[in-house]
Amino acid sequence: MPYTLNTDKDFQFMLKEIGMSSAKELYSQIPPQIKLNSNLNLEAGLSEFEVEKKLKSLALKNSSLDSFNSFLGAGCYDHYIPAALEAILSRSEFLTAYTPYQPEVSQGILQAIYEYQSFICLLTGMDISNASVFDGASSLAEAVLMAARITKRKKIILAGAHQPEYIQTLNTYLSGFDFALEKIEPAENGLVNLGDLKRALDSDTACCVMQNPNFFGLVENVKEIADLAKEKKALNVLVTNPLSLAILKEPAALGIDIVCGDGQPLGTNLNFGGPSFGFLATKNEYLRQLPGRIVGKTQDKQGKPAFCLTMQTREQHIRREKATSNICSNQSLNAIGAAVYLSLLGEQGLKKTALNSFNNAQYLYQRLKELRGVNIPYAPRIFNEFVWEVKDALGIMNKLYDKNIIAGYYLGDSLPDCENRILSCCTEKKNKDEIDNFVNTLAEILNG
Amino acid sequence: MADLKFTKSHEWVKIDGFQAKIGITDYAQSQLGDIVFIELPQAGEQIKKTSQFGTIESTKAASEIYSPLSGEVIEVNDDLVNNPQWINESPFDKGWMVKINMADPKESESLLDESSYKEFVDKEAYQ
Amino acid sequence: MDREIIFDKNKTSDKKTYLPESTTAGCDLEDFLPKESLRQDLPLPNLGELDVVRHFLGLARDNFSIDTNFYPLGSCTMKYNPKVNEKIASLEGFTRIHPYQNQKDVQGALELIYDFERLLCEITGMKRFTFQPSSGAQGESTGMLMIRKFHKINGNKKTKVIVPDSAHGTNPATATMCGYQTVVVESNSSGLVDIDKLKSLVDESVAAIMLTNPNTLGLFEENILEISDIIHKAGGLLYYDGANFNPLLGITKPSLMGFDVIHLNLHKTFSTPHGCGGPGAGAVGAAEDLIEYLPVPLVAKAENKFYFEYNLKNSIGKVRSFYGNFGVLLRAYAYLLRLGKEGLLRVAQNSVLSANYIKEKLKNYYEVAYPGQCMHEVVFSCSSQKEKGASALDIAKRLIDFGIHPPTMYFPLIVKEALMVEPTEAESKETLDRFIKAMIDIDNEINTDLEKVKNSPHTMPVKRVDEVKAARFPDLRWKKPGA
Repeated sequence: MPYTLNTDKDFQFMLKEIGMSSAKELYSQIPPQIKLNSNLNLEAGLSEFEVEKKLKSLALKNSSLDSFNSFLGAGCYDHYIPAALEAILSRSEFLTAYTPYQPEVSQGILQAIYEYQSFICLLTGMDISNASVFDGASSLAEAVLMAARITKRKKIILAGAHQPEYIQTLNTYLSGFDFALEKIEPAENGLVNLGDLKRALDSDTACCVMQNPNFFGLVENVKEIADLAKEKKALNVLVTNPLSLAILKEPAALGIDIVCGDGQPLGTNLNFGGPSFGFLATKNEYLRQLPGRIVGKTQDKQGKPAFCLTMQTREQHIRREKATSNICSNQSLNAIGAAVYLSLLGEQGLKKTALNSFNNAQYLYQRLKELRGVNIPYAPRIFNEFVWEVKDALGIMNKLYDKNIIAGYYLGDSLPDCENRILSCCTEKKNKDEIDNFVNTLAEILNG
Repeated sequence: MADLKFTKSHEWVKIDGFQAKIGITDYAQSQLGDIVFIELPQAGEQIKKTSQFGTIESTKAASEIYSPLSGEVIEVNDDLVNNPQWINESPFDKGWMVKINMADPKESESLLDESSYKEFVDKEAYQ
Repeated sequence: MDREIIFDKNKTSDKKTYLPESTTAGCDLEDFLPKESLRQDLPLPNLGELDVVRHFLGLARDNFSIDTNFYPLGSCTMKYNPKVNEKIASLEGFTRIHPYQNQKDVQGALELIYDFERLLCEITGMKRFTFQPSSGAQGESTGMLMIRKFHKINGNKKTKVIVPDSAHGTNPATATMCGYQTVVVESNSSGLVDIDKLKSLVDESVAAIMLTNPNTLGLFEENILEISDIIHKAGGLLYYDGANFNPLLGITKPSLMGFDVIHLNLHKTFSTPHGCGGPGAGAVGAAEDLIEYLPVPLVAKAENKFYFEYNLKNSIGKVRSFYGNFGVLLRAYAYLLRLGKEGLLRVAQNSVLSANYIKEKLKNYYEVAYPGQCMHEVVFSCSSQKEKGASALDIAKRLIDFGIHPPTMYFPLIVKEALMVEPTEAESKETLDRFIKAMIDIDNEINTDLEKVKNSPHTMPVKRVDEVKAARFPDLRWKKPGA
């Protein structure tokens, strides 16, 4: 039998030791009405070889992104992951270890997470970071709940273009509470409409939430937005792509109080959208409202430097119904992966990754702009993705797909008034030939 | 300690004319363990009998502090915030938390005296 | 050995060549983006690859893990993480697919989710499953939000959720997050939900009861059908916290017990690796009446093609972006295929047998909190050891010197000096005997060398860590000297 080590002999021996003669007696307290009389209606177990074979055949029914010339982004990004990262993360002592509640047997894990927390603080300019949460969408929900707890106010403003799934997730999380959510639609130029925002901000606003770069790929005037919110003593929550922080200014210097987002661009593969991790960072004064696990540095009883999980009294296993959140696990392995990624790439590698993405995206932007039939509604103040429109966008995307090109994310799938708009992304993995291939093929389709 | 009064939620009160000093008992601090954090109201705030006026945290527990009496907070032991260990070391003296002007002195009549509180604690400790 | 923090390591000035030079023209950032929005200084260290590899592998060596140590951690089901699952999870057909790709390009992934759902429905009796939640706790909030919406749509005025006093802390925290007031029902002297007390608490305002079965004391709630009846008659629903489902595989189903919504921890019962605390996954299953409230999308099949189904009448929406921790699901799926129906039953039986074996062998040394037969975990009280000067914590820390991870300590809250032991079915009798001997040795040591127990562990890179100092003087990140 796979995955259990006891032989039949061991089994019988142990039964006898506890005074039983058959396995049935192990379940004597289960009411007979709910006991199953026969085996589950499942197949018999497979050998390891057969399991591998079956799963391989399922994997082959998927066409990985590598078989296309792809420009898909929209919240999940295809970045190069150094081989050393996977070699490190696949180590048993990281992969099969438990949550580091017992610090004496987890110093390595704790230090790795402490380093992760430090990296997030360096990237964002914030004072403190937690040990990660589930994903970007839930990190936003946690950030909003945090802002509401701190300000004791009930109104939440969502300014500008946000990833639609994040908004849906936020709505779900907030449904158990009594908050008012107000969306400020983007202005004509695709950025936050400052006039509308100013009108919406009031003394009941807990926070103003902005995404930068926003869902249209545009870089917002973060400080201006933050200043408006500060006038009403509302907190500023920023959702961001951590890789963009290699070239964009640290949110802490722009007046942001809580930074969150999805950490997938930092060393996690596409994985069909999961697992990934969310990050959450803030200022020292909000420490006690920060949900999730946190690692702290301290000493052992002999004065030697040591790490441990700390601030646990905010968490569910101690505060119970007064907890700041019900989070129990986080996404440690992926967060440690981010620490490894940032260690391997360093300032140089990260900047290069970001700049190459930027250069590629600008090149695509310029080339598309030149095409007759293509309109680009917004300025190229972008990081790695942007919006363009073409008549019968879906039809065009299908024709491109037939030529093995995935043009990007069809905005009409989730946004009203975007029937002819596409969001195209260039990471550092793209090169000039691939971009030319995309644009030239599109030109042929449009002319033909 | 004979002049102190107590609550079943383990707060103590020392009444001095129309003022009252409030803290948590030695039993409470021993149950909580090493105190790491305390959150207290500000001077000028109104607190009410039996409602929460603060939070206290140790490494293994977080607890609300309930007010034994109603009144206006006139003084807060702000130094406690940086020295939470005083609550463990000296819960009735250095570890005092707030001083209030009592809104209704009659409220103190329903508080426990020292022997009743001790009896209450002994019963609880056996469970 | 002192571990340098990564930021203090030797820097290299070597150029990073993970990527080629840009093939498109270099653009000046300031030509496109406002200067105020640009970063001046990126304070990340530039390190050599070998140094990074040595650093993190050095950190790895300081940890216990299932692959290297026995973890009798109650409530966590620390079973072996099969390596073939890792091999499969790294196939490019699974790691290199984007969630927004054309559905015809990900038919393999959709078929996997669909078939996995079929297996879980058969195992639990639930009718449909969502795999969006990333953990048990997120599964709980998903399930409770579904229950909340059910009551709202049906016009029921519900304000309370009942939770046993032995419940895990996530249960009341979840209830609060869903806007409910938590009401605690006491356990009786046998460690089970007190039916009379329950009856007195249940009224028309009760939305649901959240139960783990077996409960956190490792005991099967024998009166589950009566509990189900009491709650349902008052118009409430039953929520199953599946953290302890391991001993029931192939024995009974939550549907038969009366549960309306359940969550399963894939990183517990279904062997996916804990990864230092995540990623996990919480599969949430619904009975017929609750299907329409599940998060969207579900996976459906029509004419041999699989697709995402978004048309759920009263869905609570999404609880995270995309579809859940797919990488975790596929490991759990492979695990189920390997075990099959007879393997699952064997897992359950061995898990119960192992826990009872330990109970039998240690009952004369450590007080068993509840004398009845336990299921997959057993709770000991170290009260008599405490009287001699060694707490549950001391005993747990001393176990580390035997190469064994401490059991769960001080939980559930209703047992004094609790140690909760869950060996799982994955361990051999030899390992169990080694654990039993260690526990007996420690008990003896309390009489002969108490200080050794109280000052343990002695064999790890650090002694007991000052957690009070960590909380009083938080140092939560590295700071550049002088900053």
